[in-house]
Amino acid sequence: MSINQLIFRSFQKNLKSYYLYVFALIFSAALYFAFVTLQYDPSMDGASGSIKGLAAIRTASVLLIAIVAVFLLYANNLFIKRRSKEIGLFQLIGMTKNRIFMILSAENLLLYFGSLLIGTFIGFAVSKLVAMTLFKITGVDAVASLYFSGHAFIQTLLVFGGIYLLISLMNYLFIKHQSILTLFHVKSKTESRVKKISIVEILTGILGILLISTGYYVSARLFDGDFVSMNNLFFAMIFILASVIIGTYLFYKGSVRFIANMIRKNKGGYLNINEVMSLSSIMFRMKSNAMLLTIITTVSALAIGLLSLSYISYYSAERNAENTAPTDFAFVTTEDAEAFGEILRESGIAYNEQKIDVLQVEVDIQEIMGRDIENLQFDGGKMRMSVISDRHVEDIDVSQDETVFSGFSDAMRTLLNLQDSGTLTLHGLTTAFSQEYVGLLNDSVLPLYFTGGLPAVIVNETTFTALVNDMNPEIQLDSSIYIGYTLDDRETAEAADKLFNSMPFSQDFGNSSQYSEERQQKINMGLIMFIVGFLGLTFLITSGCILYFKQVEEGDEEQINYKILRKLGFTQNDLLQGILGKQLFNFGIPLVVGLLHSYFAVKSGWFFFGTELWTPMIIVMGLYAALYSVFCILSVLYYKKVIKMSM
Amino acid sequence: MNILEAKKIHKSYGNKFTRQEVLKGIDISIKKGEFVTIMGASGSGKTTLLNVLSTIDRLSHGSLEIEGEELTKSKEKKLAEFRKHHLGFIFQDYNLLDTLTVKENILLPLSITNTNKKEALEKFEMVAANLGINEIADKYPNEISGGQKQRTSAARAFIHEPSIIFADEPTGALDSKAASDLLGKLSTLNEKRKATIVMVTHDPVAASYSSRVIFIKDGQIYTQLNKGEESRNTFLKDIMKTQGVLGGVHYEH
Repeated sequence: MSINQLIFRSFQKNLKSYYLYVFALIFSAALYFAFVTLQYDPSMDGASGSIKGLAAIRTASVLLIAIVAVFLLYANNLFIKRRSKEIGLFQLIGMTKNRIFMILSAENLLLYFGSLLIGTFIGFAVSKLVAMTLFKITGVDAVASLYFSGHAFIQTLLVFGGIYLLISLMNYLFIKHQSILTLFHVKSKTESRVKKISIVEILTGILGILLISTGYYVSARLFDGDFVSMNNLFFAMIFILASVIIGTYLFYKGSVRFIANMIRKNKGGYLNINEVMSLSSIMFRMKSNAMLLTIITTVSALAIGLLSLSYISYYSAERNAENTAPTDFAFVTTEDAEAFGEILRESGIAYNEQKIDVLQVEVDIQEIMGRDIENLQFDGGKMRMSVISDRHVEDIDVSQDETVFSGFSDAMRTLLNLQDSGTLTLHGLTTAFSQEYVGLLNDSVLPLYFTGGLPAVIVNETTFTALVNDMNPEIQLDSSIYIGYTLDDRETAEAADKLFNSMPFSQDFGNSSQYSEERQQKINMGLIMFIVGFLGLTFLITSGCILYFKQVEEGDEEQINYKILRKLGFTQNDLLQGILGKQLFNFGIPLVVGLLHSYFAVKSGWFFFGTELWTPMIIVMGLYAALYSVFCILSVLYYKKVIKMSM
Repeated sequence: MNILEAKKIHKSYGNKFTRQEVLKGIDISIKKGEFVTIMGASGSGKTTLLNVLSTIDRLSHGSLEIEGEELTKSKEKKLAEFRKHHLGFIFQDYNLLDTLTVKENILLPLSITNTNKKEALEKFEMVAANLGINEIADKYPNEISGGQKQRTSAARAFIHEPSIIFADEPTGALDSKAASDLLGKLSTLNEKRKATIVMVTHDPVAASYSSRVIFIKDGQIYTQLNKGEESRNTFLKDIMKTQGVLGGVHYEH
């Protein structure tokens, strides 16, 4: 039998155990190709002018390579271990290691580039879908067409060729470092033998849980005013990261085994089938899986966290646009406003006009701030703020010595740690007005041009007049009047926006259209969300696959146990019940820990990104959990097959 | 009273073209409290016979009755149910779960039948005392010797007081000291608990501990030997003599 025949034969025979590997390959190639096609898609050119996202997509594709490479290397690693016996046999009959390596590489080459081609084809087929999703999310008006890019194909080939070399190198090292004996034993040696639980292990277990909870606790206090300077805040963040990640590792290394052991001790040796299948098997393996699980947990926490945050921003685009422009259109000069009003009337679009006089006043808010301001960049506790009369604001009527703030971003509020009431001082040029601060109005009244992100100060008409007479001309802005147009019919917003953008002054600072702002926000956040989402999805699927592969391996190893149990009289159903319990653990623990991590991460800083926490976060987490459980179900199905075949 | 009654047992493997008949019509009946050994050369079908008798493998045709229950046509689930309550197993390669301690392994059959915990632990104490495994109860299988493993396996077979215990080459992987130790314990339990034991072995010494030896050749019963009132040594000589006549296998130890 020639070498070629040997290669072909073993290829044929191994096809069945290859299927996982083939799946992993096809999947990664498809994903990568679809993503890279975006870069070269001509229909993206139209969009990229407005998106400016090509650079972002390119960066993301590098990250994608990293994820895919790690995934393929891992899959290959599992796979070559499965074939160690065969490799040992080749050696036993006198083949040199180099020869074996050549055979394996040739076999791999066939398989690898075969599935790469299939993967590319699938990637080509779904690339239109990917582009359509991107256009839909960013709200860009472009038609996605099916487009095959030669550049993308070459790039995919290059990247995967590189990964192939890497894999070959790994196989080479694997074969080089094994003797015939170890090759025969590798399968049974990979798991550490069961040992008694030591004191050290119990301590690691407790320490792990303690570290995680400390991290959570600190993250919850992060913006509560305990960490006053930026430096402290930074250190606190590093501390949280370190303690949660190390804690997670120790949790897997010790805590899980420790808790399982406590339950087991309680049973006094009398375990039911569920405990036999789940507890003991998990204890048996958890220690050697600790590193892998930590990485998966941490990165999925990261993915869920980033996804939640970007979705929060996307979800809050409307609110943010309102902060920039509280009415449909905002102007700071009467001429511009009138010119645009003229145009609107000509086009038959009805609107309401609102004019607000705005005054800039230095305000001392030291007494109502819970935070030591010296650490923030404010000058002696005085801030330049916009003051308006309560005459212009519906539903607000304050007395002469009362003040209300309006339009405060949540980030600002948390950073300043604003009290609910107190006294503040309005400084005119000569006199100072002491005012009682009575509360906060969530809606913003003035556009960003006047407020600069700070709230607008609403005072009584009398106080306002007094302030006008005593104003400090140096701190006034070019404009002291805000003209807001509100359309009668929201449906006309798009047409009106088009008119607005055709005006020569549309780009002047201070003149803004809420509709444009919102769209701009959606495009920016949408692109970020798309990229984070794509990477997150890739990661989710690859880590799901890795966990699934791991379960397949475990299932094969434990088949002998199922055989014993079935001989003893346990039915297939009994065993399957036990497997269900086990898989809930195996997939549930990383998921729950990952979700918890990201929950605390998102909770501690979400207000920098938007105005709505729960809905976007729950949607993201729910989706993630649902996709993730698909792999759990797949692994249960595989176990079902193994159990069925075991006797 | 016959606890096991098998008539005209046939078992063949493969499809229509590659058909290979392993058992060719065997009749066996076993009384309650008997210790029966099945002997035969490699390939004579003795392990297949044991598997068929113990419901692990299905027979091609013939009938099998244990404790008056006809098992030939039972469904897989019912067979599992039957094994759970009425049968115990000892295997050559021990078949212990690596992930469980000795005690947990032994208690397994009771957990299937939902015995209450107190009763289960009492039964464990008794079996453990009989087989001398109290001091290794909390160890894992990889920490104990082959003889200890096989005693654990035996304890697991006895704990739920099954009607019949099937032992497939229980001494096959043991040295002679551990083997005679185990066999001694098995025959004591056989007498003390009136437990019925069916054992497959090719070792005449192991066979000499039983009360009856059935010889199998080419899928059929060749002959039977009864111990009766003989001593173990003379019974052993009889067995070896028959084995010599049977041919194929010579006792060379």
